[in-house]
Amino acid sequence: MSGIVCPIRGGAASQPTIAKAISVAKESRATVYFLYVVNLDFLLRTTHTRTSTIQRELREMGEFIVLAAQTKAAAQGVTAESSVREGDSVREEIVRLCHEVDADVVVLGRPRQAESDVFTEVDIEDFGRRLAREAGAQVIFSEAAE
Amino acid sequence: MSASQLWRVLLIALIIGAAIVTPSSLQAQEADTLQPQTCAVTGNLRDSQGQPVAAVEVTLADRDGAALLSVESQPDGRYLLPWPADQAVPSNLELQYERPHFENATLPLSETQREDLSGCQAVAVPIVELERQITPAFWIAAVVFAIVLAFIAMGTLHNTLAALLGASILFAFSYLGPLVDEGLFIFEFERSLEFVDWNVIFLIMGMMIVIAVIERTGIFQWSALQAYKLSGGRRWLLVIILMVITGVASAFLDNVTTMLLMTPITIQIALSLGMNPLALLMPEVMASNVIGISTLVGTPTNILIGSFAEISFSDFLINLTPGVVLAMVGLVLYHEYIYRKELRGSQEESGISNVLLARLQERGQIEEPEDLRKAGIVGAGMIILFVIGEQFHLLPSVTAIMGATALMVWIRPDIDEMIESVDWTTLVFFIALFICVGGVQEVGLISFIAAWIGDLVGENLVLAMLAVTWLSAFLSTVIANIPFTAAMLPVVGFLSGNIPGADNKVLFYCLSVGSAMGGNGSLIGASANMVTAGIADRAGTPITYVYFLKKGLPALIITVALAMIWLFIRFL
Repeated sequence: MSGIVCPIRGGAASQPTIAKAISVAKESRATVYFLYVVNLDFLLRTTHTRTSTIQRELREMGEFIVLAAQTKAAAQGVTAESSVREGDSVREEIVRLCHEVDADVVVLGRPRQAESDVFTEVDIEDFGRRLAREAGAQVIFSEAAE
Repeated sequence: MSASQLWRVLLIALIIGAAIVTPSSLQAQEADTLQPQTCAVTGNLRDSQGQPVAAVEVTLADRDGAALLSVESQPDGRYLLPWPADQAVPSNLELQYERPHFENATLPLSETQREDLSGCQAVAVPIVELERQITPAFWIAAVVFAIVLAFIAMGTLHNTLAALLGASILFAFSYLGPLVDEGLFIFEFERSLEFVDWNVIFLIMGMMIVIAVIERTGIFQWSALQAYKLSGGRRWLLVIILMVITGVASAFLDNVTTMLLMTPITIQIALSLGMNPLALLMPEVMASNVIGISTLVGTPTNILIGSFAEISFSDFLINLTPGVVLAMVGLVLYHEYIYRKELRGSQEESGISNVLLARLQERGQIEEPEDLRKAGIVGAGMIILFVIGEQFHLLPSVTAIMGATALMVWIRPDIDEMIESVDWTTLVFFIALFICVGGVQEVGLISFIAAWIGDLVGENLVLAMLAVTWLSAFLSTVIANIPFTAAMLPVVGFLSGNIPGADNKVLFYCLSVGSAMGGNGSLIGASANMVTAGIADRAGTPITYVYFLKKGLPALIITVALAMIWLFIRFL
């Protein structure tokens, strides 16, 4: 197996997804690629335009979040890489990374029914099928955390 | 020159040009120096609330109605019609008063007054009270303002776009409406610009440049790391230090920038300690909203209030800081209680890897020490000028622009980068918002609201203080506090002039406390809340509306009540 892609945001909700990716990687002795996407949509509702500063800060935060995940993986003897990207579409970045690392597996966290979720229950299934079709990767869903 | 650069240059030129050509508040102090002189008719115009009426066309006419002289009343309601000494005075004279949104009025000159004028003496006529007239324009301006507020509150349109839309509709009715019905006229473009407070615009612009220089130095990240070190990993202490750092930074810089820079590093500290980031972020953002009101430049609402009511930097410091300290003590105890489970642990218990701690250390470095030193010197100079400047009529906006320019000349940053760092969207928002508020002011809505509140509180100062503070606090949880404060300023101005004992500007301090601390009551109550929630969400720890309301509403009640106690002690 060449690679497992695991997009995360950090926080409690991401923990089951990270744990699942590490466990799959441990079994298959593959490398996990933790992905964090910097997205500035939330600024649309505030009157602020200094996007370069915010982007830099969020990138730093993203690097810290994936480092925390990498550290967890390393503690269980799993090799983990990280990727922090900037983009308007989280989905496109996931697909892109899958192509780049020739991913066999993608571990996605199921939505928590929260307003800020990237995916809804319906479109996460659609996106899973798209990944299988376009990147040839098997999609594993981890259950949503409370 | 790229299109975006051209746009910025045009915008700067527009702002500076408009500030120069309009009889703005910057020149208002000089405008009211009408000196009585011989061979002249002078008088004063008031509305039914006793407020001066500006821009009234005052005409001295003869018995046939033929206009002999004409002038416009000044911002303080006074007017002066100079009569040529060598011209004979007709036998019957009357003064005619005309102004949109008011009933026309006339005042005949008595025989004695006519003789005085013939003898080339100054004739002072009694104060004339003009009656408001409810025209269709009244309802249009009111509805447009309500729609702008609703769009901003619901997020249907960007704040700036909502305010621009409102201003455009007012202009459309003012210029195209009279073709259908004269009652649709609201104001002319030149008149609308008189409502724009250029002192506010330039102060915000100057501070934005100063902040842009400071934020690149890494001082926020360094401070947060020092807080972490100082606390020794004890969470209960860490949260207090972070609240103080964030609050003090917010008193001198804008809250949104402070939280933009503090939130990511705070989340990293929380992750390092293995704790819920919200136990640090919520106290931080609330401290930012509370402490910000200690200074003139701490919150946009204070900038608006300070400029309108001529409250100086040191006035805010002296009159509000003890109340803010009191509110902060309440806020700290409240957060220590509600997050007691999360704040109980320490770093040793969390067992987080040294890799993360090392990364944190790496982040908390001063990136531009030399720039920070220079910014510190200029910043200190600016604070001194803010404090002492009032003694020689140095406007805060001038200090801010001078400070920003001095900093740029000394540090020589990329000028394009600096100009880009100015949030033009916010400045345009303020200009358009001033015009929208000016619309409702012009048609008399603000006067009606002021009269209604005046009737409600009578001459009772305590009741007025409670009404202004709590009304603005609770309304700020549902209405964006900047447009709300802008609309409330003339109302509070009216109350201050009519309630005995309120001439010490206490009601403006009440508005400051209510509108800023009210921002803690809900997620949409302050821009800093939204930014914090946005970044927290990007770190997988969303702050929902309900979550913020549950934690924020009690905080609002505690902090406003404590600040209110101080205002009673200070002003009663």
